[in-house]
Amino acid sequence: MFFNNLKPLHGNVYVNETWCKGCGFCVQFCPTNVLDISPGYNAKGYHPPYAKTPERCHNCLYCQMICPEFAIFVKGDDECVKGETNQ
Amino acid sequence: MTKKRTGVFVCHCGNNIAATVDVKRLAEEMTDEETVVYSQDYVYMCSDPGQNSVIQAIKDNQLDSVVVSCCSPNLHEKTFRDNAERAGISGFTCEIANIREQCAWVHKNREEATEKAIKISRSAIRRVAHNKALDPIAVPVTRRVMVIGGGIAGIQAALDVANAGLEVILVEKLATIGGHMLQLSETFPTLDCSQCILSPKMVEVSRHPNIKLMTYSEVQDVSGSVGNFRVKVLQKPTYVDPEACKLCDDCVQVCPVVVPNEHDLGLTARRAIHIPFAQAIPASYTLDVDACLGLNPIRCGKCKDVCEAGAINYDMQPRTVFEEVGAIIVATGFDLYGQENLGEYGAGKVEDVLDGLQFERLCSASGATKGHVLRPSDHKVPKEVVFIQCVGSRDPAQHCAYCSKICCMYTAKHARLYKHHVPDGRAYVFYIDIRSGGKGYEEFVQRTMEDDETIYLRGRVSKLHRTRDGKVRVLGTDTLTGQNVEIDADMVVLALAMQPSKGTEQAAKVLKIGRDKDGFLAEAHPKLKPVESVTAGIYLAGAAQGPKDIPETVSQASAAACKVLALLSQDTLSHAPTVAKVRESHCTGCEMCVDACPYQAIRLLNGKAVVNEVLCEGCGTCAGTCVRAAIDVKNVTQLQIHAMISAIMGG
Repeated sequence: MFFNNLKPLHGNVYVNETWCKGCGFCVQFCPTNVLDISPGYNAKGYHPPYAKTPERCHNCLYCQMICPEFAIFVKGDDECVKGETNQ
Repeated sequence: MTKKRTGVFVCHCGNNIAATVDVKRLAEEMTDEETVVYSQDYVYMCSDPGQNSVIQAIKDNQLDSVVVSCCSPNLHEKTFRDNAERAGISGFTCEIANIREQCAWVHKNREEATEKAIKISRSAIRRVAHNKALDPIAVPVTRRVMVIGGGIAGIQAALDVANAGLEVILVEKLATIGGHMLQLSETFPTLDCSQCILSPKMVEVSRHPNIKLMTYSEVQDVSGSVGNFRVKVLQKPTYVDPEACKLCDDCVQVCPVVVPNEHDLGLTARRAIHIPFAQAIPASYTLDVDACLGLNPIRCGKCKDVCEAGAINYDMQPRTVFEEVGAIIVATGFDLYGQENLGEYGAGKVEDVLDGLQFERLCSASGATKGHVLRPSDHKVPKEVVFIQCVGSRDPAQHCAYCSKICCMYTAKHARLYKHHVPDGRAYVFYIDIRSGGKGYEEFVQRTMEDDETIYLRGRVSKLHRTRDGKVRVLGTDTLTGQNVEIDADMVVLALAMQPSKGTEQAAKVLKIGRDKDGFLAEAHPKLKPVESVTAGIYLAGAAQGPKDIPETVSQASAAACKVLALLSQDTLSHAPTVAKVRESHCTGCEMCVDACPYQAIRLLNGKAVVNEVLCEGCGTCAGTCVRAAIDVKNVTQLQIHAMISAIMGG
């Protein structure tokens, strides 16, 4: 347990499965490997991504930037906007 | 060719040689040699009367070459070569036959030792018969100095050299200078704040007009020799322009990544972009590329977005810089022996078992807890603390055989600091024996025992483990009462052995300087050349050479600086003229010697090998490689070697 109260930033990944065309960019380029291709299909017949290890997301927003279908977005946790806990 | 006139001088060296070697017989038998016209023995050839007799004999007998049968040429070759010069012949026609280290000291049988001494002396006579009078080569000097390592040793050496007016390049591997001393809380035996006495020196380094500071840099290659080294330095990118950075700390606020902070030895965390500590020199942030999510303005890029000064540049590239220097000081320091090597003490996996440097960070006012001693597991004040000395040291069976020298003192200091922070706490120290040699050191340990009521237990700790109620159970012995001791401690501090740092290992490889059996840098002579490395022009300072405390480190750094100044105050350096020489008629230009030369002293010119006499060290590797015997080292020619071998074989 670190003595200073630094905490990594955390974001929550939201996927709009109906818009996804399964290109896999977000899965391939996520720097902390949060995402993976889900086994299920969406209405268009693609495999949309899902957050396999959501705790690893640092809210870098890269997946949101590169998604060609605007089908993924990330929202940071409000409680640790500055990355510091209340301890 | 006229006949050579050689004189032989046999030294008794008191009884060092004379006890084992029949020196009278040796001197007499040497006159049987064809070239020898004069021979004498004397009790101490290196004494003033002895030296004068050599000079007189050369003059009286018109000697043109001299053999002195005495101790190692490392010691008195220069003395006798100077005598030859004073008598009017070339110093390079004087050779030493080592009959002390290589004969008298290693044998007991007088008869056989005398036979061997005769053979050694005879081979030197045959060799000197072919010696040429040579003149030393004058080499110009580069009056710049490189200091490798920015700890207290490197800082002190750099300041001393720079204050004398020479230009210094200080190379540090990390993003800031300061080294381990900056991590310390207080220093023994005066308990003054380590940071407070070091930071003025750091500021001086950063402001000094003669010091060029290269942080985040590593020495990759060194060529050349004493007086003229060429050093290749790799400067790693920090991705932050220190000129533009305003130290506003905005980037740190937005960086999403948290990793352990090396400066606090993992007790605190830091961001991927960070400044090691407030007084860092140079005062600038560094982007840790391993922790960063990616050097890409789209991928994260939060720090760059928020930086108003525009100091962050993801496109910064590593830079390779070449520096010409005349001398190098190596001050690459130490690392602590890894806790992972100590299975009996939990291999670094038991919580609240700290090493000495971590405890320093707990006590330090600028440290992890802002100067409150708290234990890492639950952030509570530890009421019982056990300090264990000689962890990894003095244990030839499993760990390091040597004594790390400073642990007795710093453990006493830790115990005192702990008692000052937690007056109602209890401190136990397990020790083998207390080694407190130094000015004021013994008194310091006594005060720890008496004034601060630290409980000293003479014995070792066999093992420790964590109990269910969150304590660390320490099982040891008190050999003075002969009882086993069991302490449920809140925290345990290990006085780990010092070992040469990773950087020391690397520097030794790059600079091609020797290391001793423990991996510390080897000095040229343990007593008389403690700051010189075995390579001329490369000097040692600080804990890279062996475990030592701050006062000793500073002394050695200043000593190294003084040696460098003495070396570089000469206009030219004289280089031994016993260098390789190519017989052009025999050379076929096969280039084998070019590849074999460890000093890059040979190149091909018009299809023939040419030796750069300044770079050549006369090692003879080329002569051993050449298949046509076209290259020879002056005064150690193949003819001479053949003559020496046949003399030893009895020919």
